[in-house]
Amino acid sequence: MNQKFKYVLMFVALLFIQGAIAQTISGTVTDNYGTPVPSVNVIEKGTTNGTSTDFDGNYTINVSSSSGILVFSSLGFVAKEVAIGGQSSINITLEEDVEQLGEVVVTALGIKKEAKAIGYAATEVGGEELATVKVTNAINSLQGKVAGVNITSNSTGAAGSSRVVIRGNNTLTGNNQPLYIIDGIPIGNDNNGAAGMWGGSDGGDGISSINPDDIESVRVLKGGAATALYGSRGGNGVILITTKGGTSEQKGFGVEVSSSVTFDALNTNILDFQTEYGQGTRGRIPANAAEAFDLGNSAWGPKLDGSPVVQWDGVERPYSYVGDNSSRFYRTGSTFVNTVALSSNAENMNYRLSLSNMDNEDIMPNSGLNRKSVSLNTGATLSEKITTQVNAKYIIEKVHNRPRLSDSPGNANYTVALLAPNVDVRDLQPGMNEDLTENAYSSNIYSTNPYFAAYNFSNEDVKHRIIASTSIRYDMLDWLYLSGRVGTDHYNRKSTSIEPYGTAYKILGGMEEQERIYTQVDADLMLGLDKDFTDKFSTSAFVGVNSNHIKYEQLNLGGSDFIVPGFEDISNLSNQTRTRSYNERKIGSVYGSLELAYNRWAYLTFTGRNDWFSTLSFPGKDASNNVFYPSANASIVLSDALEMPSAITFMKLRGGYSEVGGGGDTAYQLAPTYELFGQGHLDQPLGRINGSSVPNADLVPWKKSEVEIGLDARFFDNRLSLDLAVYKNETTDDIVNATTSIYSGYSSATANLGKLENKGIEFLLSFTPIRSENFNWTSSINGSFNESLIVETNAENQPVSLDEARTQNVQIQHIVGERFGKIVGVSYVRDNDGNIVYDLDADNVPYAREGDREILGDGVAPWSIGWSNSFAFGDFNLNFLIDGKFGGQVFSGTNSLAYGAGLHKATLEGRENGLTVTGIDGSTFDADAGTGTSFTTTIAPEDLGTYFGQINDIAEEFVEDADYIKFRELSFGYSFPKEILERTFLTSANISIIGRNLFYIQRSADNIDPESAYSSGNSQGLEYFGVPSTRSYGLSLNVKF
Amino acid sequence: MKKILFILSMVLLMGSCDEGFEELNVDPTKPSQVPVSSKLTAAQLYTSGERYENWRANLIYQSTMMQHYATTAGYWSGDKYTWNKGYASSLIDRYYESAVKSLVDIQVQLEEEGSPEEMKSIARILKVFVFSRLTDLYGDIPYSEAGKAVTEGILQPKYDAQSDIYADMLNELEESAAALGTGTSGFGSADLFYAGDQAQWKRFAYSMMLRLGFRLIKVDPAASQEWVTKAIAGGVMESNDDIAYVEHTVGPEGVNQNGIGEVFQADNNQRMSKTFIDFLQDDPRLPILATRFSDGSTDPADLKGLPNGLDLDMLKADTGEDDIDAYAEPNREIMTRRDSPMFFQTYAEVEFMLAEAAVRWGLAGGDPEPHYNDGVRAAMKMYELDSPEAAIDDADIDAYLLAKPFDPANALEQINTQYWAATYLNEYEAFSNWRRTGFPVLVPVNYPGNETGGTIPRRLTYSVGDQSNNPDNYAEAVARQGADVLTTRVWWDVE
Repeated sequence: MNQKFKYVLMFVALLFIQGAIAQTISGTVTDNYGTPVPSVNVIEKGTTNGTSTDFDGNYTINVSSSSGILVFSSLGFVAKEVAIGGQSSINITLEEDVEQLGEVVVTALGIKKEAKAIGYAATEVGGEELATVKVTNAINSLQGKVAGVNITSNSTGAAGSSRVVIRGNNTLTGNNQPLYIIDGIPIGNDNNGAAGMWGGSDGGDGISSINPDDIESVRVLKGGAATALYGSRGGNGVILITTKGGTSEQKGFGVEVSSSVTFDALNTNILDFQTEYGQGTRGRIPANAAEAFDLGNSAWGPKLDGSPVVQWDGVERPYSYVGDNSSRFYRTGSTFVNTVALSSNAENMNYRLSLSNMDNEDIMPNSGLNRKSVSLNTGATLSEKITTQVNAKYIIEKVHNRPRLSDSPGNANYTVALLAPNVDVRDLQPGMNEDLTENAYSSNIYSTNPYFAAYNFSNEDVKHRIIASTSIRYDMLDWLYLSGRVGTDHYNRKSTSIEPYGTAYKILGGMEEQERIYTQVDADLMLGLDKDFTDKFSTSAFVGVNSNHIKYEQLNLGGSDFIVPGFEDISNLSNQTRTRSYNERKIGSVYGSLELAYNRWAYLTFTGRNDWFSTLSFPGKDASNNVFYPSANASIVLSDALEMPSAITFMKLRGGYSEVGGGGDTAYQLAPTYELFGQGHLDQPLGRINGSSVPNADLVPWKKSEVEIGLDARFFDNRLSLDLAVYKNETTDDIVNATTSIYSGYSSATANLGKLENKGIEFLLSFTPIRSENFNWTSSINGSFNESLIVETNAENQPVSLDEARTQNVQIQHIVGERFGKIVGVSYVRDNDGNIVYDLDADNVPYAREGDREILGDGVAPWSIGWSNSFAFGDFNLNFLIDGKFGGQVFSGTNSLAYGAGLHKATLEGRENGLTVTGIDGSTFDADAGTGTSFTTTIAPEDLGTYFGQINDIAEEFVEDADYIKFRELSFGYSFPKEILERTFLTSANISIIGRNLFYIQRSADNIDPESAYSSGNSQGLEYFGVPSTRSYGLSLNVKF
Repeated sequence: MKKILFILSMVLLMGSCDEGFEELNVDPTKPSQVPVSSKLTAAQLYTSGERYENWRANLIYQSTMMQHYATTAGYWSGDKYTWNKGYASSLIDRYYESAVKSLVDIQVQLEEEGSPEEMKSIARILKVFVFSRLTDLYGDIPYSEAGKAVTEGILQPKYDAQSDIYADMLNELEESAAALGTGTSGFGSADLFYAGDQAQWKRFAYSMMLRLGFRLIKVDPAASQEWVTKAIAGGVMESNDDIAYVEHTVGPEGVNQNGIGEVFQADNNQRMSKTFIDFLQDDPRLPILATRFSDGSTDPADLKGLPNGLDLDMLKADTGEDDIDAYAEPNREIMTRRDSPMFFQTYAEVEFMLAEAAVRWGLAGGDPEPHYNDGVRAAMKMYELDSPEAAIDDADIDAYLLAKPFDPANALEQINTQYWAATYLNEYEAFSNWRRTGFPVLVPVNYPGNETGGTIPRRLTYSVGDQSNNPDNYAEAVARQGADVLTTRVWWDVE
């Protein structure tokens, strides 16, 4: 920054500083043990003038009057006031507040409660944890940090969505992700499109819009008790995000600048295919260019020998390994995030205005996103009794070419991964021929040239989003208040997706323009009281009403067959389609809460809420459209109630029971409707039944109940603490859109089906192994085990089928008595001893017999663990996070295709001298007895392709453990010391080197990242050519003045 | 205190928490009913089918199994008798959610609205056509309980035995033909087949009875003769004007287009089979049906058919040819366009069946030859519906019949080989008739790794999804019919 600008900024800053500067005071704040206490707020009483202590407990403050009073306060310590009395140096000792009375948490509906009064599990993560190591979707930063919160950031590209599940899945086919509340109002988190078995791209989710630099804190309310007051939408848990306002520690006017750059490099250690045998068939090279073209990705040729061999384009190239195609095709991605925030905190008014820009280039060439956001949070005290808050965010998100995932058409990932070892991806350049057609490298028209996919396909979207809320609180009496709040989340998302003219599988091309308009309005009115009846009894209570209204409209214009090649506009399509869809729903609610406290160590809270759902209302419907659900929870601070050994600093027991109910997220599913579709045919209109889901006029709300007990214990002056929770919940009358037999005429039916149960345990163990003047090490381990069990489905308890893999031999199913989301697929046929049954063809080549579809694994890992460490030494700090998930499996489509194509290393066996296979001869196999005659045969090298090609159809072979331990995050930071900053206009400056997803400490699956499912929906555990995984590293800078 | 009361009363005012909810949950973009005629138009387009099943079931599998087409591309599974389950089940995967569901709904609406019998008959006949295509290809299929998820709450329909389905379909045809009169039905011009002409529907119903009656020839010859006799007595198609077909357009949407035409826009891998080109030698249809891929020549001397069941390497080994562009492909200028008509049953087929009825039982006047000649003539003329360029001179037809006259000694083979040629592109029918008669005599291929042991498949396989979504009924069908594989024979296809 140049000198001139610095002075201008200082001048501006000076304008905001009230009063004359009369004296400078400095000193050190220590605790009982003489250890310096950082981050103590030091305020000149009666003014907005303040500062805070640095890492060494030192502070310097300029006070307006030498006869004033300084107030020292910090979380966990008793605040202290000291008269200045003309001193220029004031060193003080703060007493630890062993009762932690100052610890206040924000709970449901923005109500602040003492931490010890809470009878359920709630975990807070500071905003800096999300802002230091930035990712394009800030919620991914929570991964591994909160017990019981399972975050899956899949291979959906930088602009893709994440899956967040708290305490397991609660509904078989509905939304299992939590409710996001930003500054008190719910926001939409719908996915704007996801890839399925037939491909597609991930359209991103709602939460990713939030700028990590604006986040003050994230609080996760896990259980039903915490969420009863948010109603049905909070049934999956609530993530409360508080964005920064002008009330942060810094008093007066302040400026904060954050800058970070992150580079994403392809993780080349994952894909490990064979590099010895090249393109060909039956052990020989392609006879000519036409055959090379036909053979496509088949790597069943002879051993690479460097001889000249013709390829698909007729060019002879050395028949040798060309090196790693992935690192040639993908680029190093980058993400730049810059945020400038201005804040001011005056007597009756505070505000924070931030401007942010994020620029991302994905590792996929010609793909990336830009996000700009403006955030203004203001608070004002209008009179002694009335306070208001207005928060608004405006976000513009532009995504350039969301990568196509899963199925091969238009999916560059597919082709790059599967090219034979002797084919250099760069030889496929340019992707487009001079006549504008795809430079096809294979007769499989669905296997797209990756350069054509990256540079000629197009997938653009722009989202304009406003998240705004206003609230007002009127303190009618000193114990009675009325508060009202209304907020909206509104966005308009326009997208254009183009399959260009000349695409091999769609020669005339096609395009689609789509507009999505989403509006959510949420309003609350609440009357509350806080009263101490006697010295020992106190109560707080409130009643309120809430209205939630969501409208969602989608307009599509699209079609196929460009008339003028290369001109991409709807007007240039010879076949045009247009559709509009609309969905509107409302929830009306009445709720209340009563908290009783005894002697500040026993607390009892009751809540109740009744929700009415428009989605369950229809003219003439008899079944209920509303549900009442209560909760009760209690907490006892044992360390206050009883005499405890001195080693126990604090101990609280908590427990609760809660219910919640809901009405489903989809409107119009109660009655059948019809539609006139298309644009008619030969002047005749076309009519049909609308939709492929069977409606249900008798739907009633689903219900969930939960029991939770927990322990919060801290020992040795807080150097060791344990937070433990055990819970069990049960969802009944789940609203399920279950797959039906397609021969019913419909693909699914909606009904109150099913029961599922979640049982789990969560722990957070924090300890401070070293706490000294110059070196601090704090460490915490969080872990959770959750089992979602399917108790019932329909009357016959049939499996509920979710997504199928592209290979069509495996799908995700809910099976009664099993965990949520089993991987079910074609198995081997085996005899009683487990030997595989083969059918031998005329040439004695054994074909593994395809068995029944059996349970092959769990799509959702039940165990997860995170270990974070924080070291502070002098002005340096080092943090790292290791996380892991265990007990889940993944079906690897990549490995399945790699078997067929002869790319998997397992297919190397027998290439020279034949492969000896022993098994059971299918012609002798008695399926009922489970016995048959054993055979041994040697498969000739030229028949290996058919042998492995058959195994390729057996899903069992490709279901692998998805366990991993990952070195998730690393940051090494330096805070410039006060002595240096004093000579500048800066009040604080930090710089950090960051790394993310650096390496796997342990990984079970071959060739794939275990976190590489292509969808963030309920069907987890299917992998098929998503964007490859990356490791990220970068630099982050934060300054305040 | 007054303020509190004010607030509380406000809360109570807001208290009717579900006001207007019932109306809010009525979809403003979707009507609660549409005219039944608009559903018939859609159902007829659905019967013609989408690109999806026309590509997979009709072309990839059946057209190559029936050796109308051949290809070296590996994913054309029918050419080499390999098993791609998704391709094999493509018709049964799609037809229920489109055609079957619509027809069940049409029948319910006709009943509710008290519509005239002739409209109900038209819906019944079309439904028989749809189910006959399904059962002929797959065998036992959901029939009596199919498409009834909304009307009767059946989410997992049972599979009916093909014998029961046939009995009911023939009965349906008989009843509905009897209920048809003359003049225009209530569907009017919404009926893409016959613009509501009841007499033509009646002839179509009896022609379908003729087709389905003949299907029983191996399993129940007596019943076959009985139904064929009944059909002829009822009155079958009389000219190419009676052909059951729908006209397609190039747009504006996929539903308007001929699904086969859409395939040929996307796929270049199919060539005319050597078997078919050999048959078409000295046939005036040859230059209408085929062109040389490389240069579009329609000179019969340039039109070479590709042998079935080979990959490029084997082709080179067998023939010395390694350029598949040297072979003939469908003539896309005239046929197989996106706005080509889609034929369901033609007058030519009917005449060939009458010839067979004359040969077998002395029915239809007793002399097969005029029926044979009329069949050939109709088959050669019918492509005029595709394009005026497809017109064949009567003189050329006369010359053909002169050169290749009806041969009583070899009647069944000759008739049914012509039937096979006339059902080119309607591969569903070509495959069924080949299984019924064994004609034309096709030499099976034996590609390494094929699924059938080098025999032409006898059916296609069910949707794999039903194995998990309807497991008990699926298992019951497999237990009754035999393994769900390509070589299992359907009920009427006894050895």
